[in-house]
Amino acid sequence: MRTRHTRRAAVALGVGAVGALAGCLGGNSVVDAGGGDDGHDDGTETPSADGPPPADRSPLVAYDASRLRAATVSGGPPKDGIPSVDEPSVVDASAAAFLRDEEIVVGVARGEAVRAYPRKILVHHEIVNDRLDGVPVSVTYCPLTGTVLGFERGATTFGVSGNLVNSNLVMYDRATDSRWPQVLATAIDGPLTGRSLREFDVVWTTWRQWRARYPETEVLSEDTGYVRNYGVDPYGSYGPKRGYYARQSTMFEPLTTDDRLQPKTTVLGVRTGAGATAVQSSWLAREGVVDAAVGDERFAFVHDPALDSGFAYRVPADVPVAADGEDDRIRVDGDPHAPDALPFERAHGIEAMWFAWAGFYPETDLHAYP
Amino acid sequence: MPTPDRLRRPARTVKAALRRRDGQATFLFGALGYPLLYLASIGHLALGARGQSVQVVDDPLSRMLRQTRPFSFEPVARVAVDPVALLVSPLDIGVALVLAALVGANLAVAVVVWRSPAACGVERSAGLLASVPALLTGATCCGPAILFVVGVGTAGAGTGVLLTAVGYATPVTALLLVGSLILVTRGTAAVRTDG
Repeated sequence: MRTRHTRRAAVALGVGAVGALAGCLGGNSVVDAGGGDDGHDDGTETPSADGPPPADRSPLVAYDASRLRAATVSGGPPKDGIPSVDEPSVVDASAAAFLRDEEIVVGVARGEAVRAYPRKILVHHEIVNDRLDGVPVSVTYCPLTGTVLGFERGATTFGVSGNLVNSNLVMYDRATDSRWPQVLATAIDGPLTGRSLREFDVVWTTWRQWRARYPETEVLSEDTGYVRNYGVDPYGSYGPKRGYYARQSTMFEPLTTDDRLQPKTTVLGVRTGAGATAVQSSWLAREGVVDAAVGDERFAFVHDPALDSGFAYRVPADVPVAADGEDDRIRVDGDPHAPDALPFERAHGIEAMWFAWAGFYPETDLHAYP
Repeated sequence: MPTPDRLRRPARTVKAALRRRDGQATFLFGALGYPLLYLASIGHLALGARGQSVQVVDDPLSRMLRQTRPFSFEPVARVAVDPVALLVSPLDIGVALVLAALVGANLAVAVVVWRSPAACGVERSAGLLASVPALLTGATCCGPAILFVVGVGTAGAGTGVLLTAVGYATPVTALLLVGSLILVTRGTAAVRTDG
């Protein structure tokens, strides 16, 4: 009798322990869940029945598509379980009472359009299919890699596939169901495999800083067509950094592990068809300007203190670019320029968590604290 | 494959426990508290709302069937009453209520057994242990977030296994709660209802 009770108690304890684990693992399995220039920026729309318009220049994809497909995993939610915002509505800055000054926004200034996308909305949707300056675009955010990129979408829209590769959001286009890892901006599966997307610059900054720079900005409103508690971030917090964003562990194995920096350290990177280079964001903030190269192409990373963000430019080899010690201007051959207005072609600088950047671009150069 | 008697016994025990005041109070505590915990943990119940408002999505009947995660569905309305905001997902609320009834029943039996173990023919410790899954399933919530909490680092295949487990956690939790009732009431005498 006693033995039976003891055994029963042990079984109950075991059940309890398993129940605890299962209970803890239940429910909110929300896993997904920079910018640049491909030379196409004439504002013309290219409606296409077969997916988004192709980029003129494809960025590096360091792995075979088959390897990337094999490394693609389910993040938990089904296809469209994280719903993209397909009918966004905007409000003027003065009507954005739902945004606090210190909250992060993804800012876009494109032609006549200036728009801010609050991160607290993006974290629940990851993709906003919008139209800026007459051009159909998608503004995308992957919480697990900390990456924001803008793409032209043509006549189609992008959705969240529910899959991840290297922890990064895998998008799908609703015209062909091809699969597009966000950072790669290149399809790795489906009819458009190998095609790259046209990208445009987006900026990761705070609402206060964006509004100060662009007082006329519009803001994506919480009227997304879905109901969510937009103050609740399933992954943690950015103010202050907590949860997934602060912890160095990742949920999924990176394509490549690189311990030159802690995994969640923020870097600003650029990639070309030939390779990739990156700068530690805090190092760039300290230096103001960091020179870099990919192959025989020279790039200048420039910090913009007013936005606490960075930009990248393609710079001719012989032109001196330096931070001015006295103000926030950047000296180009001695002449002062605003950090976001250097007289060079802008390259797409992508802010990312280091593990994600290094995973996608294992041969990347890195400029960081010595 | 449990015999009908194995299922009837826990049902009888739960009924008997619910005829006692302490059992009723404990059941209500679990059954009312658990849904709040569950909805808060999946982000459907949150603080920080300002003012009072009700939003309803277009076409709620079809929207409520759209899955956002395994065993979780699109909310169709948001009710805000300063400072609380509730997302109304009928199916999620249904899941929460089913689990809440099981949690309440587990707690009620555990408390009754703990207060009068001799009457049930169960050791006090066994009754207490039975309440463990009920108490801990309150964390049926955080999905992969819990992986960060328990410090799962860069895991390869293991993470995939855990995430697969996440998807089935809700039904597994329900089965565990039923299982713990069956285990704890196995071979018990009827619960006394006089006190």
